Formats: sequence, C-alpha cells, structure tokens
Amino acid sequence: MTGVTHWWRQRVTAAALIPLTLWLVSSLVALGAGGYENFVAWLRSPLVAVLMILFLIALFQHMALGLQVVIEDYVHAVRVKVFAVLAVQFGCLALLVLGVVSVLRIVLRG
Amino acid sequence: MPVRSSDDVPRRTLLRRFPVPRNFNVSPESRIETGKTWPAPVGTTRTRKFAIYRFDPHAGRNPRIDTFEIDLDDCGPMVLDALIKIKNEIDPTLTFRRSCREGVCGSCAMNIDGTNWLACTRFISDTREPATIYPLNNLRIIKDLVPDLSHLFAQYALVKPWLQTKSLPPERERLQLPEERRRLDGYYECILCFCCTAGCPSHWWNPQRFLGPAALLQSWRWLSDSRDEATGERLDELEDPFRLYRCHTILNCTRTCPKHLNPGKAIASIKKLLIERRS
Amino acid sequence: MQRERPLSPNLQIYRPQLTSVLSITHRLTGVLLSVGSPFFVIWIVAAADGARSYAAFADMLGSPLGLALSFMWTFSLFFHLCNGVRHLVWDAGYGFELRTIYTSGWAVLAVSALLTVIAWIAGLRLGA
Repeated sequence: MTGVTHWWRQRVTAAALIPLTLWLVSSLVALGAGGYENFVAWLRSPLVAVLMILFLIALFQHMALGLQVVIEDYVHAVRVKVFAVLAVQFGCLALLVLGVVSVLRIVLRG
Repeated sequence: MPVRSSDDVPRRTLLRRFPVPRNFNVSPESRIETGKTWPAPVGTTRTRKFAIYRFDPHAGRNPRIDTFEIDLDDCGPMVLDALIKIKNEIDPTLTFRRSCREGVCGSCAMNIDGTNWLACTRFISDTREPATIYPLNNLRIIKDLVPDLSHLFAQYALVKPWLQTKSLPPERERLQLPEERRRLDGYYECILCFCCTAGCPSHWWNPQRFLGPAALLQSWRWLSDSRDEATGERLDELEDPFRLYRCHTILNCTRTCPKHLNPGKAIASIKKLLIERRS
Repeated sequence: MQRERPLSPNLQIYRPQLTSVLSITHRLTGVLLSVGSPFFVIWIVAAADGARSYAAFADMLGSPLGLALSFMWTFSLFFHLCNGVRHLVWDAGYGFELRTIYTSGWAVLAVSALLTVIAWIAGLRLGA
C-alpha cells in the first residue's frame, strides 16, 4: 500500500468514527449500569445492530492502520517488523469477526 | 498562555526535558560526561552560566558539558556574542559555526535551553540560568557544536530543489503572475539552518528514510512554483510510506523555526496535493 | 582505531512543548484504546453468550481495578477523539498558525477532561 492510500484510509475511518463513537458513548451512558436485559434489548434493535457493526468495522480498520504506523516508526529490524505488522493485521481481523458474529448472534436469537 | 510566534520564549516551564534518564538509549560513544567549570572573574556582578556541549575528536574521550560563567556587562546581548567572548577570552578551543551574526545565513543553528534556534538572534536575557547549549539534535558531531550536516543536505538534494522544465526556454524571463509569485512567500525564505529537521521526533526515529521538514518545505516550494513543469514526478517521488508520510503533524518544526516559516503547513499542502491528483 | 562520531542528544534534552506532548499523548491514547478494544469485544461476546457470562464480565468491570482502567480508557477515548478532530482539521489544510495550534491544543485538553467527567457522572447517575 502506498503512503497515500494508507493516509487516506486512516482519515476516512477516522471521519466515520467521529459520529459513530459519539453515538456509542451517548448510548452507553444512557444505558449506564443497566444490566444484561437492557443491554441485549438495546443491541437487538436493527438500527443499533447496524450502527454497532459499522462502528466495529471502522474501529478495527482505523486501529490496524494506526498500529502499523506506530510499528513502522519504532521497529526497524525487518523480521520483527513484519511479524508485528502481521500480528496486528490478523489480530484486528479476528477481533472484528468475533465482534460482528457476536452482534449477529444477539440479533438473530430474536 | 497560547504561543503566538516561534519567537515566544516561555517564561514558565512545567517540564524542562522528557522524564527519561540523561543518557537514555544513547550509544557508548555518545554518552555525555561532566566537564570543567570556568568561573567568572572576581568583582563581576551580572553573570550568566553557560553549560556547553563539548567534544574533542582527537582526545579519544566522550563528549562532556563545560560550564562557563560570563560577565554580562562585558558581553554583547546575543548568545553568539557569549560564545565568541568565551572563545576569545576563556577557551579558544570552543568550536562553532557562525557567519552573518544577523539571522540570515543559518550557520549558528543550535539547541539553546532545549529548543533549536539561531545563536545570533537569541537574547541572553531570554535564556535560563544556566543556559544550556547543545548542538542540533540527532546528528553526528564533528567537534563541539559543529554537527555533520551532509546527510541533511543529501536529503535536500533528493527533492531536486531546482527548476525542472520540459518546454523550450523563453526568449527572456519565465513570466509569473503576482498571485503565482505570492504562492512562494513563506517557503522561499528558508535559510536551510535545519533547526526544524533536527527538532522533529519522527526524523529522530527514521533519519535515513524520512526526508524531514526542511527538505519537504523546499519540495513544496518547487511544487507550488508555477514555472516548474515536473509536478507529477516530484509527487511520484514522495508517494512511499517513509519519505513524506513519516510526518504525523507533530509540529515541533513550526514551533521552532527561527525565520517564522511553517514546514508543517507545507507538508500538509503536499499531502493534500497528493490526494487531489488521485481524485 | 577510529571511533564513531558521537550522536548529539535528542529526546534526552529537547524541551517538551505542547506540540510534541499532545502528539505523543495522541499516540499513547491510541495504543491504550487498541489494548482496551479486545475487552470491548469480549463485552459483546459475553452478552451473546448469556446472562451468566455477562454478569461475570460486569463484575470484572465493576471491580476497583476495572473502574480505574475504564476511567483511563474513557479519557483516552475522548482525548483521542478531540485531538483526532484537530488532526483532521490540519489535514484539510486549516489551523497551522502557531496561535491556533496552541489554542486548539489547550481546548482539546479541556474538552476531553470535561467530556470524561460528564460521561462518568451521567453514566453513574442514569443507569442506577
């Protein structure tokens, strides 16, 4: 990936995360220490589920790109750098899939 | 509290250095030791101590900090005046670059009290007690306050800082509208002192692959020159993840420029141009 | 034997300024958020697994250590969000005058502290 595409994707996911994060934080604050039933009922609604999935996609893409830049800045030994970048990419993908599957499980349980 | 210009010397400091050990992550030959102290002559009232980085390439020892106490009533107002006085009257081996003594040549760029500036335009009254004088950061030191700038100049040459044209040269001058000439203001005035590049943390961690604010400012100077015809090629050179994109808008460069230029803004303009040409 | 020339000090002596301090804090909060994100995913997984897993997770989060870490994580979130907006404004090409850099920097610190406090007070009051 050239520097340009990386830079652009980081900014696009960042812009997407601004409204999504504000939505998530205000929703969680409103839920407060509500408990299991409230949380699941909230997450089950289609709009919330879609926004949550979009949030997870934007979050983990932004995270993977950001951590890659941090590794490139500080790690110079080639083998360590490649291993670290791969670990970050796979980790973020795994977390994303885990998160989306869990949201779908809650929604589809009905 | 907000800083208005790079001239602004802070009066109060919460933190003078980052809280790392003095010789943190420093290779053995670069570890700094304590050196000699030269007190002021008897009878002086207004004095200032200068703690100066010294390195003798022929002595086979590590760099050290020498402290000189100067009689301010017998010295010019600028830090460079103090350095010249020390060299003339106390220790003739003190070595530093200097030329114009008026802030236009860039020779006396050094780290004064933790930030990079020109010694000839920094008032002694704006320094701390003791004033700490180090060479420009993260550079190989030839002697005392003289760093090896060759790889910084090589990075500057890499951006091809000259007019590149494909069309035939005109009969007389290449013409430019006043608005087109104004686009160069704030970029052509760079004196290549390298205060910005030496103060850029990203350049500290990637000095070989990241070009640094000085070279990139000049790259923008040529990108925004209406007479230049190699815009595409110049941008192609900067597309990889390291040459331009190690810049994370830390903005130490804009904060420290002794000529009040804005390398951060220039680099942001290059990034914008790279995106615009893709859309 | 030729010794290598010494390297002049960089981080060891450079003055911390708002520019560099806020920038490294942005990076630090980004990394902290990344480290905390698996726990956010685990939260959703626990909810999908049922009431018992969720209760176990909620207990962990409600412990003194859990609350302290969550508070730090929330501040990191708001700081990274506000400073992120500042970054996007720079990327659009605006706000590079030194005065603006400094004013926006102090504003980011103030707003993120304020948002953290408001979010926690509101969260503790509303849910209870």
